[in-house]
Formats: sequence, structure tokens, C-alpha cells
Amino acid sequence: MSSKPSLKRLRRMPGDPSREDMVARMIRVDQAGEYGAKRIYAGQLAVLGRTKDGPVLKEMADVEQRHLDTFNDLMVRRHVRPTMLQPFWHVAGFALGAGTALLGREAAMACTVAVEEVIEEHYAHQAARLAHEDEPELKEVVETFGAEEAEHRETALAHDAREAPGYEPLTAAIKAGSRLAIWLSERF
Amino acid sequence: MCVKMTTRNRLNKERERMSDLDDLRREILYAMLPHVAFDGWTRKALNAGARDAGQTPEAAEHAFIRGLNQVAEFYSADADAAMCRALEEKGVGELPIRQRIALAVRTRLEQAAPHREAIRHLMSYLALPGAGLTGARCTLRTVDAMWYAAGDTSTDFNYYTKRGLLAAVYGATVLYWLNDASDDCEATWAFLDRRIADVMQVPKFQGQIAKIAERFPSPLRLREAFTARRSRNFT
Repeated sequence: MSSKPSLKRLRRMPGDPSREDMVARMIRVDQAGEYGAKRIYAGQLAVLGRTKDGPVLKEMADVEQRHLDTFNDLMVRRHVRPTMLQPFWHVAGFALGAGTALLGREAAMACTVAVEEVIEEHYAHQAARLAHEDEPELKEVVETFGAEEAEHRETALAHDAREAPGYEPLTAAIKAGSRLAIWLSERF
Repeated sequence: MCVKMTTRNRLNKERERMSDLDDLRREILYAMLPHVAFDGWTRKALNAGARDAGQTPEAAEHAFIRGLNQVAEFYSADADAAMCRALEEKGVGELPIRQRIALAVRTRLEQAAPHREAIRHLMSYLALPGAGLTGARCTLRTVDAMWYAAGDTSTDFNYYTKRGLLAAVYGATVLYWLNDASDDCEATWAFLDRRIADVMQVPKFQGQIAKIAERFPSPLRLREAFTARRSRNFT
């Protein structure tokens, strides 16, 4: 995805999932994403928890937990099924967090930058699609959370993310993985 | 603002039309069920039902555009909704979880009692290849409705294990119920209790596995040993 998709033309077209389906997919993928994010921070904290970056990571992990609680609540209220891939994200998220943290604190921050960038983009995309629907609650949640994920990206950049070894290929790989995770979690 | 209003209007109109169509479907369906006992889950029964409801076969075609599979799905969904309403009236929230589920299955079957013969034919229809995955889909939606009615709030993989286990219990109970000749289906409710008791063994079994797993060394402990040794070297 080199050029950003135009966010103006995201009205639902014939053949697209119905409104209920679309909202269900959104809640499902967002819940999966926040769950994955929580696991990534858990992995990073397992390695870096007692270093000087511990408090920053803990703070971001707490925000992700709050996001996850919100989506869990939405999921139950709206009768949306969770993704079937959750056991996989449970392991993969932790492995990604712990793996990058083992490469050093800069790499852990680079991982945060990559993931949060994809999530921010994803939330912006959803907000644009919801602009045409009658879903004020979900739209507000998505917009607030998108802004908070952007804050995390800035925090990570301020903590020397760019000095990670192989910053470009590392973030590119993580971004590709996150996009694949989004695509899968929407559907399964 | 203008865009929003038109969206809302359009949605409201769509909803109205859908509920009108649902009323027509309900009318035809419940007129069809007595015929199913004789004609099976067939077009013939559907058309006879339409006639009894004062509709034409074309109206039935219009209401159930995807045919007999859609009739089956609609019946199942409508019965699920009726079950949820009844459970709410019975105050299901005050019971322990196990009884909530038992009550849900029981309510579902008690409500279906007048149409038991129709359901027998429906089951054999759903077993045919033409029905595809309709039967599985209906079962999953039904157990899903049961768990939501029982106040389930799981948002992890337990969501699937809970529904899977209940689908097995519910499916077995339906088959037992179809051939149950006892008064007030007492034998079925006893059967249901036994099946739920079986399912309750699963967490116990999981606990045993966890206990066995505890005896094995954890890979994370290796790391602790490693870091402990390293810090000793430095001092």
C-alpha cells in the first residue's frame, strides 16, 4: 500500500458486506487488534519491565487494556463473535513483543511505531467508512482510540525508535504482518 | 447533517419494509408447519401453508426468495427470539449458570412441542445435501442465542468452546426429545441434565492437565536462572 487510499469514497457499494456485517467485522477486528497490542506490550514488559523504559511501556499497556475493555463491552452488547484466531494472536503478539525487546529497547520502540502506525491508519479508514452510517457511538470510539494510538507512536519515536538496528526493514516487516493480521481477523 | 438525515430515513424505511416482510413470513411459516407433518419440508407444504394463510404461492416465493433453506433458517431464528423473550420473563438472570442453560434448552423445546412432527421432517430435510450448511448454521445461532440469554460475556476463545459444547448437548437432546414418549417429556429433561453433567466434567479434566503440566519445568525459569548467574558474575 504505497499510496494511501482516498478516504472520501468509502460509501458502501452493492456487493459489499451489509451494514450489520460491516459493523460486526469492525468490532471483531478492533477487539482482536487491541488484544494483540496488549499481548505485544506484555511481551515487551516481560523483557524490559525492570529497565528505565518499564514505566512508559506500562503506561501504554494500560491504555491498550482500556481499549480492549471497551471493545469487549461493545462485542457483548452488539452480539459480535470474537475472532477465531485469538489463540494465535495470544502467542504471536507476545512473541513479537518479546522478540523485538530482546533485540534491544530501540527495536521494541520501532515495533511500537510500526504497529501503532498501521492501527492508526486502520482506525482512520474505519472512521471514514462510518461517516456514511448511523453509528455515532462506534465512530466516536474509533476516532478517540485512533488519536491515542498516534500518541503512542509519538512516544515511541521520542524513545529512540529510529536508532533501532535495521529500522526500515524491521518496521516494514511488522507493518506487513499487522496488515495481514487485520485482514484475517476481520474475516475469521 | 443533511447526509445523516437521509441515511437515517433510508435505514428506517428499510427496517419497516423488512419487518412487514417478516410478518408475512411468520404468517406463512406457522400455517405451513401443520402441513409439514404430512408433506415433509417441501414446496408442497409451503404452498399449502401460503394458501391457509390467505396468500398466493407467489407471495410465499417472494417472502422466501432463497427457498426452503430460508424457511428453515427463519423458523429457527423466530423460535430463538421467542425463547429469549420467554427466558427474560422467567427471570433467567437470577439462576446459576448451569440452570440457566438447562432452562434455555427446555424452553426452546417446550415452545417447539406443538410442532414436533414438523421438526422431525425438518431434521431429515436438513440432513440432505441440498440443505448444505443450513442445519449447522441454525444450531450455532440457536446455541449462540442461548448463551447470550444466559448472560455470557466471553470475548475470547471460550466463546467458541462454550458454543461447541452446548451445540453437542442441544443436538443430542433434540434427537432424544423427538422420540420421547414420556409424560411431559420428563425423560428428555433427565437426559438433558445428564448431558450437562457430562460437560461439567470438562473443566475438571482441564484442571488435572494443568496439575500435570505444573510438574514439568517452565522455559521461562531457564531465563531466570540465566540472569541470576550473570548478575552473580558481575558482583
